[in-house]
Amino acid sequence: MAIVTEYYLLLSAAVFCIGVYGILTRRNALVFLMSVELMLNAANINLVAFSFHHGNLTGQVFSLFTMAIAAAEVAVGIGIILVLYRNFQDVDVTKAATMRW
Amino acid sequence: MTSRPRLATDVNVINGLAAVALFVVMGYVFVTASLPAPSGFPDGSITASIGYAMFGLVDQAAIESEGFLVAFEIIDVLLVAALVGGVMLARRESDGSVVTALTDGGRRLRGNGDSTEADADETSTDGGEH
Amino acid sequence: MAGAFDFVPAIAALPLLAFVISLFFGQYMPKRGAEAGIIATAGSLFLSIWTALTVAGITGSATSYNENLYTWVVGQDAGAVTLHLGVLVDPLAALMLVIVSLIALLVHVFSLGYMNDEGETGLPRYYAGLGLFTASMLAFVFSNNLLMAFMFFEMVGLCSYLLIGFWFRDDGPPSAAKKAFLVTRFGDYFFLIGVVGVFATFGTGLFAPIGGSEMASFPQLAEQALNDGAGAAGVDTFGYDAQTWFTILGLLVLGGVVGKSAQFPLHTWLPDAMEGPTPVSALIHAATMVAAGVYLVARMYGFYLLSPTALAVIALVGGFTALFAATMGVVKQELKQVLAYSTISQYGYMMLALGTGGYVAAVFHLTTHAVFKALLFLGAGSVIIAMHHNENMWDMGGLKEKMPVTYWTFLSGSLALAGIVPFAGFWSKDEVLFEALIHGFGTSGALGTVYLLAYAMGLLAVFFTGFYTFRMVYLTFHGDARSETARDPEPVRWNVKGPLAVLGIGAATVGLINMKPVAVLTGAEIDFLHKWVHGPDEGGWPAALSTDLVHYEELLHDAANVSASYPVGGEQTTLLVSAALSLGLAVGGVLFARSLYNAADPVEHTDKLGGAKTLLMHNYYQDEYQVWLAQGVTVPIARAADKFDQGVVDGVVNGVSSVSLFTGSRMRRIQSGVVTNYAALMTLSLVLLLLAFVVVGGGV
Repeated sequence: MAIVTEYYLLLSAAVFCIGVYGILTRRNALVFLMSVELMLNAANINLVAFSFHHGNLTGQVFSLFTMAIAAAEVAVGIGIILVLYRNFQDVDVTKAATMRW
Repeated sequence: MTSRPRLATDVNVINGLAAVALFVVMGYVFVTASLPAPSGFPDGSITASIGYAMFGLVDQAAIESEGFLVAFEIIDVLLVAALVGGVMLARRESDGSVVTALTDGGRRLRGNGDSTEADADETSTDGGEH
Repeated sequence: MAGAFDFVPAIAALPLLAFVISLFFGQYMPKRGAEAGIIATAGSLFLSIWTALTVAGITGSATSYNENLYTWVVGQDAGAVTLHLGVLVDPLAALMLVIVSLIALLVHVFSLGYMNDEGETGLPRYYAGLGLFTASMLAFVFSNNLLMAFMFFEMVGLCSYLLIGFWFRDDGPPSAAKKAFLVTRFGDYFFLIGVVGVFATFGTGLFAPIGGSEMASFPQLAEQALNDGAGAAGVDTFGYDAQTWFTILGLLVLGGVVGKSAQFPLHTWLPDAMEGPTPVSALIHAATMVAAGVYLVARMYGFYLLSPTALAVIALVGGFTALFAATMGVVKQELKQVLAYSTISQYGYMMLALGTGGYVAAVFHLTTHAVFKALLFLGAGSVIIAMHHNENMWDMGGLKEKMPVTYWTFLSGSLALAGIVPFAGFWSKDEVLFEALIHGFGTSGALGTVYLLAYAMGLLAVFFTGFYTFRMVYLTFHGDARSETARDPEPVRWNVKGPLAVLGIGAATVGLINMKPVAVLTGAEIDFLHKWVHGPDEGGWPAALSTDLVHYEELLHDAANVSASYPVGGEQTTLLVSAALSLGLAVGGVLFARSLYNAADPVEHTDKLGGAKTLLMHNYYQDEYQVWLAQGVTVPIARAADKFDQGVVDGVVNGVSSVSLFTGSRMRRIQSGVVTNYAALMTLSLVLLLLAFVVVGGGV
C-alpha cells in the first residue's frame, strides 16, 4: 500500500522546522550552515514526494539541481565563515553584530 | 575533537519556540489536508528517464518529464562561480592581509587577520552616534 | 486729434519714467537724474494745464472724464466684485493735478540748488524717490475708485518713508522715517478695512458713475439707499441701519485721512519728518502728500455728506488740531519745526471746512496752502543753505539785508499764512471760518453746537498763527545777526531764487481766484473757484458725475440737515463781521509778535510761560504717549501672541515630529545586528501569515 503524500509532507515539515530551530538557537556558524542544509533537503523531500504524487519526473530532476546549488552554497558559505573568523576572531554568529543601529 | 559531544545547553530557547510554532502550524495544515491518492510511476527505468530529461531528450524517456537542458548548463556555470568565489574569499593578499569586509569608505576599521591582539576593543561605527 | 483726457495717464507715467531713469542711469547723468525729473514734471504740468483747460471747456469737446482703463481682477460670479484701474477727471481733480505738478516742478528745480550744489551724495536715489512720489501722487489724484486711491495712498507713504530717511547713515532720519511710516500705516489699517467695507457693501468703489447709470458710484448708491431703503439700492448694510453703517464706513476711511493729513492724534510723525531734506519737506509734507487725506474726503464728499456724525467728527478734529498745533508752534526753536506745526494746524482748517459743509472753502484753502506753505519751506531751505544747515532760529538774525529775494518771498508767504489781506491766506482762511460760523448758527441740535465749538477753536488758532509766523520772521530775518554764520551767510543761486520768486508771486495773487467777500459786497462775479467746482447751472458736465457743488449743497441740506443762517444781520454784514474778526485776531497776533521779537537782540520769552512751556516743548507728551502705547500695550500683547504661536501652533507641529522621532529611536533597536534575531522575526511572521491564511481559507 502506498504511503499517502501527507505523511511525506509532514516529514518534510519536521525536517524543515528542525533546520529552522537550528538557525534560531545555535551560535556556531558551522552548525548554522548544517541547519541550512537541513532546510534545503527538507525541500527536496517535498519535491520528490510530489513527483511521485503526480507521476512526473520533473520534481526529482529539480531536486537534483537543488542539491547542486546547496553544494555551491555551502562552498561559498565556508569561505564566508573563514572571512568572518579572520575579522571577528570567533565563529559565533552573535558576535558579528556591527551592522546595527 | 578529543572530548565527546555534549548537548548544547547555551541555546536561546525563546527563539526556538518560533520554530516549534511553525512546525505545529505546518503539521496541522498537512495532516488535515485531503489530497487524492498518489499516482505512482509506470514501468520503466526511473534513472534512465532522469538522464534523458536532464539532456532534453524527453521523448526517449519512459516516464514523462520536462526538459532540463538549459538548467543543466546554467548549473554548471553556477558551480564554477561558486568555486571561484570560495577560492577568492579564502585568499590572502601578497602582504599577508586578508579580504576584509570591515571598511568605512575605504578606511580599514579592523586590523588584518595577522594581528592576534584585539582590535576587539575597537568598535566600528556606522557614522552614527556611538 | 486726441483730447487731453486720453493723455491723463501720461501725467503720472512721465514722472514714473523719470523714476526709472534716475534709478538706473542717474549715476551717469551730470545732474544725477534731476534733468529727467524736471523734464517729466514740466511735461506733467503742461498736460495738467491742458486737461484743466479742457475741463473748463476752452479746448476739446468733453468737459469731464470717467473711464475704467484696465480691469485687473474680473469678478466671475454674479455677486463678485470686479476691480479696475481708471481715470476720473473733474474740476477738483484737474485743479489738484495742476497744483501737484507745479509744486513738483519747482521742488525739482530747487533741489538742484539744495542738493546738487551742496555736494550731496546718493542723488540718483533722491531723484528716483521724488519721481516715484510725483507719479504716485498724480495717479492718486486722478484715481476713479477707492481701491486704486488706496494703492497710491500707500505708495506715497512709501516714498515719504524713503525720502525722509534719505540721509540714512545718521541716527535721526531712519528713526523719523520709520515713525512716519508706522503712524500713517496705523491709520491706513482702518482705511483698508473701510475700503473692504465699501466694496462689500456697495459692490463698487467708484467715486463717480460711469456712462450715466451703467456703473453707479458708491456715493450714489448710498444716497439711494438712504432715500429708498437698502434693499432697493442693492446695498448690503450687514444688519445695521443704513445711516449708521455709512457713518461707520466713513469713520474707518477717516482713519487713513487723519494719519496722512497729520491730524490729532496721528500728527506726531510730521514734525519728525523734518529730518528729511527741505525740498522733500516742501513737496511731501506741506503741499501734496498731506493734502492727499483732505483730497480724499473732498473726493468722497457725496458720501460723507450723508452722515452728520462723520461731518461732526471731521469738523471737531479739524478745529481742535488747528488750535492744538498752533499752540505748539509758538515755542519751537527750529525753523522747520515751526513750519511743520503750522502745516498740521492749517490742515486742521481744511478739515474744519469740510466738516462744516464749506467745500469750496476747503478746496480754496488747499490750493492757497499748497502755494504758500511750499514757498515757506523753500524759503526755509534757502535760509538753511545760507546758514550751513543750522536750523536754530536763535542763531540767525539780520538775514534781511543779506538775502533780499528770500526775505521778500518769505514775507509774502508769511503774510499769506497769517491771513493778512490781500494775501492768499486771508481769503481762504476767512472763507473757512465764515462757512463754519454760518453753518454753526444755522444748523440745529448737537451738530450746530459742535460746529460753533470747532469755529471757536479755529478762530483762536488764527491769533496763534499770526503770532508764531511773525515770531519766526522776526527771529530769522530781523534784528542783528546772532552768530558768525548769520553774519556771513552763503549765497544762493538762481535755482533757489527762481522757484521762490514764482511761489512768492503766487502767494500774493492766488487769493484772487475766489475773493468771496468782495464778490458778495460788490456783486461782481469774481468767485472763480466757486464757479469752477460749481459747473454751469444747466447741469451737464460734473452733474453727470455727481461730484459738483450743486449736488453737494443739496445733500448738505437734505441728508445732513445743515443749513446756513446769518446771525448778524444779513449775509453781507455777517461776512464783514467774520472777516474783521479773523483779520483782527491775525493782526493782533502779528503785532504781539512784533512787540516781543522785533528788537535788535530779542530774548527768549518762552520762560515766562512757566509750566506751560514744558508741556508745549514736549508736545503735550503725545510722542511719549504713543511710544508707551507701542511699548507698554502692544509689545506685551505681541509677546503673548508669540507665546501662543510658539507654544501651541509650533508645539503641535513639533509634537508631531517628536512623536515620529521618538518612535523611530525606539523602533530602530530591532536592528540588533544579530542575524538569528532577524531569522526569528521572519519565522514568527511566517507563522502568523500561515495562520491568517488558515483562518481566512476557512480552515479552523
